[in-house]
Formats: sequence, structure tokens, C-alpha cells
Amino acid sequence: MVNLKPCHAALKPSSCVKSKPCRRLYHSYEHERPPPFVPAESRILSAALSHVPTHGFATAALTQGARDAGYLDVSTNLFPTGPFSIVNYHLVTQRLALAKDAPSTNNNPNNISENIRTLALRRLHANKPIIHRWQEALSLMTTPTHLPTSLRELALLSDEFLFLAGSTDVTSTWYTNRAGLAAIYASAELYMTTDMSKDFVETEEFLTRRLEEGEKIKGLVGSVGAWAGMQASGLVDGLRSKGIWI
Amino acid sequence: MARSGRPRLIRVDQIAILLLCVYRTLALCSRQRTLTAMNTASALRAVYRPALRQNSPICDFLLPSFTHSQSRKEYASVTTSSASPKTEPAPETLNSRSTAKRRRPLSTEQQQFLDSALRVNQAGELAATLIYTHQTLPITRRHPHLRPLMHHMYSQEAGHFSTFNAMLTRHRVRPTAMYPIWTAAASTLGWVTGLMGREAAMACTEAVETEIGGHYNGQVRVLLSWVKQMEEKGEEVGEEMRELVDTLKRVRDEELEHLDEAVGEGAKEARPYELLNRAIRSGCKGAIWISEKV
Repeated sequence: MVNLKPCHAALKPSSCVKSKPCRRLYHSYEHERPPPFVPAESRILSAALSHVPTHGFATAALTQGARDAGYLDVSTNLFPTGPFSIVNYHLVTQRLALAKDAPSTNNNPNNISENIRTLALRRLHANKPIIHRWQEALSLMTTPTHLPTSLRELALLSDEFLFLAGSTDVTSTWYTNRAGLAAIYASAELYMTTDMSKDFVETEEFLTRRLEEGEKIKGLVGSVGAWAGMQASGLVDGLRSKGIWI
Repeated sequence: MARSGRPRLIRVDQIAILLLCVYRTLALCSRQRTLTAMNTASALRAVYRPALRQNSPICDFLLPSFTHSQSRKEYASVTTSSASPKTEPAPETLNSRSTAKRRRPLSTEQQQFLDSALRVNQAGELAATLIYTHQTLPITRRHPHLRPLMHHMYSQEAGHFSTFNAMLTRHRVRPTAMYPIWTAAASTLGWVTGLMGREAAMACTEAVETEIGGHYNGQVRVLLSWVKQMEEKGEEVGEEMRELVDTLKRVRDEELEHLDEAVGEGAKEARPYELLNRAIRSGCKGAIWISEKV
């Protein structure tokens, strides 16, 4: 017999799902960030996630999860976003889990692209248990109500990949790198939902090809910029040598 | 300013200074009618500062303080300070070598402050390095004796820039989205003032370093107030906070050193000094405000 606790006793709405901090925060190494979900929410949502393979991203999974965690069925009312809260929980926990396994990627700290590939693959493989239901999650994420939250999670994930891979760019390429990587990861995740190969090797190859293309484009843009800069400074130096005062 | 107990008689040279200041104020106001009260106040303070150093009750009567605490809200929260070095608090905890961690985590407001502060600092150093890069060639062509000075100032700014780049990477602070725009603006500013001549280039440096020095000073003030709060609660300050305060103090001192060097090389002789000074300082203030947000 499940011990049914009254829902008002222990549950408090988490500030995370409803109103994430809109601004980035300085990351301190002296203290851990507070956990993104309160313990009660965390228990319900992780239990609900385990029911997603059978029930999909639906209220049924959430209800089952509440029951498993020992709360009343009606406690799902504490998740106003409904099944999207399970999606959000999965996104946030998998992103934070990347940092825990990060030391293994620092075997080659100089090869940032290789590290990015390893991290992206690890994150893609984390979708494996629920990949047959992921298209439901994607449709939930793209509804107008939840789109800003989903895009923010994608941006945070992209930032996590680049930080853990050891990228040290803090010029305007900070933005272009993250935007490009977010697009590549999103396309790979979408591809993975239709991938029927064994152990998702085709997704791996897809990701590798996209990352290589991304590198090529970055190199091309960088080369064009360098060429234009050299032409301009050559012109200015040439004019200066002729005595023109510039 | 220290004052003696009994009032002193007014001297003739003090009267002359006062009249000169009044004349300059009138000239200033007539040329720049669009100044806000705040800008007028700071301009007046800058003009009257030599006179204010004379101890006289007449100075207090004729030149009352124009600033009041509400005026600071007009500016970005990390700017402005007019405290002198001797009045800077030097808490004991900053000198301790303990490696214990800070007792409690930084609050959200503190983290947001540090986030925007580091972003603005990086943008400021980017602009400074670009200004010096583009000023060096025209200036050293005409004044080869300035080559060591320009090189010294540039290398210090480049050091600051790499310090802040490392801090941004480590603490996951995003750089300003206006990066390409500040690159273009700073390069143009350096180039144009370099072509205008030595005095104009030094006036540009003076204006930029005044703003940046005041801005770093404000940040050091905020951080020291946090340290004071931690001390009052008897909490450990932590290595991170100590390093941050030390870095900002060092950078601020070097920037103010550049300011003195620029003034020494004829910044005040630039024509048009007031216009250059005002325009560049306003531009810096605007850039600081934008970089905090964007």
C-alpha cells in the first residue's frame, strides 16, 4: 500500500520551471550552484520520467510518477506546464550531468573539436531510453508557450558543451560558436528520432559531418576576414609610404 | 580637506583664482548650454579643484557642493567615486593568507553585479588596447621620443585585457554583444585622435582613463563593502574575493597612472580640449552603461 502523503505538506512550487533567472550569473568555484529542482519535485519528475517509455510525455506519466513518489494523483496540479515539466526536467538534469562526467573529456585539452564531439554524443546517447517518444517532447517544446524555455535550454546546453570542451574565445565568436553548435545539436537530435541503425551509429556520423562542416565554415569566415584585414592594412601602409597622412 | 579651527584672512592670490574660476565657468556655460546640472556640477568641481585646496571660508560660501547622493543614480551603478587613496578601506581580512572557503555563497545580486562588472571591464580593456594600437603609429612618427611611453601603456593595457579574458572564460561570463561595434568605434577614435596630434591623443587618453579609473574605483568600493559585511558577520572572505579585489585595485592604479602620464604629456593643451574631453567621456559613460546590459 503506497503511503499517500497530503500534497500541501511537502510540495512547494519550484522557482525554476516558472520563472528562471533571466540573466546569467557569475560562476563561482567556491560554492555549488543550488539544485534546480526542489527535492519533492525532483522525486515526482524522475519517477514520471521512468514511465515515459510506456506512457509517453503525457499527463498519465506524470500521474504515475506522483503515485510512485508517494503523493496524491492531484499533486500533478503543481506542474502547471503539465507534461512539459517532464521534458524540462530531462533537459536540465542531462545538461548538469555533463559536468559530472567532464573530467574524462580533459584527456586532450587542446583538441576542442574532439571534446565537443564527445560531449555532444554523450548528451545524444542520454536520450536513448526515451528516443521513441522524443518527437512528442519536440512538439511540446515548440509550442509557443514553451518555446522560450526550450530555446534557453538549448543555448545553455551549447554553452555547457563549449565550456566543458575548454573553449576560451571571449570575442564575438563566443556568440557565433554557441549559435552554430546549438543548430548542429538540434539537427542531430531531430535526426536521431528517425534513426533506426544499431546503437545510433548513423546519428554519430551525421553529427561528425555537421561538426566538420561547421569547422569549415568557421575557418572560411576567419580566412576571409583575415584576408580583408590584411588587404586594408596593406593599402593603408602603401598610402603612408607615399606620404599621404593617414 | 582638513580645516583649521580659526578662519584665515583672504589672500590676494585666492581672489584672483576665484575670479579666474568664475570667468572660466561662464565661458564653459556659454559654450555648452546643453549640459545637464550634473555635468555642470562635475565640470565646476574640476575647475574649482585647485581653488578648493586653499583653506578659506570664502570658498565654502561661494562654491557650495553641487552634488547630492541622488545624482549618482543617473550613472551606471558601477561608476563614479571621488574618494582619495588614503581614505580607501584596507580590511585586515584581505591580507590574510588563509585558504578557507567563503562561508556562504554569493547572493544573486552579487553574482549579477560581478557578471556585468567583468563584462564591462573586458570591453573597456578591448577599447583601450585598440585606441593605443591605432594612436601609436601617427604619434610616434611625429614624436619618436614618445615611443617608450606608448609601448609601456599599450603593454599594460594588453596585460589587463588578457587578465579579464581569462576571468571571463573561467567564470563563464559572456562578453558584450557590442564587441564588433566597440572594436570599430575604439579603432576610429584612436586613429582620429592620433592624426589630430600628440595633445589630442593625450587628451583622448586622459578622458578615457578618467572614466575607466572612476569606474574601477566604484567596483572596488562595492567589493570592499561586501568584504566589510562579511567581516562584520565574522565570515571567512575567501581566496576568490581577495584575488578579485587585488586585481581590480592593481588595474585601477595602473589606469590612473596612465591618466597622470597623459596629462603630463600635454593633454590639457589640446585644441579643442573641452569638446574632446566631454565627448569622449560621455561616449565612455554610454558605452559602459550599454555593455552592462547588452
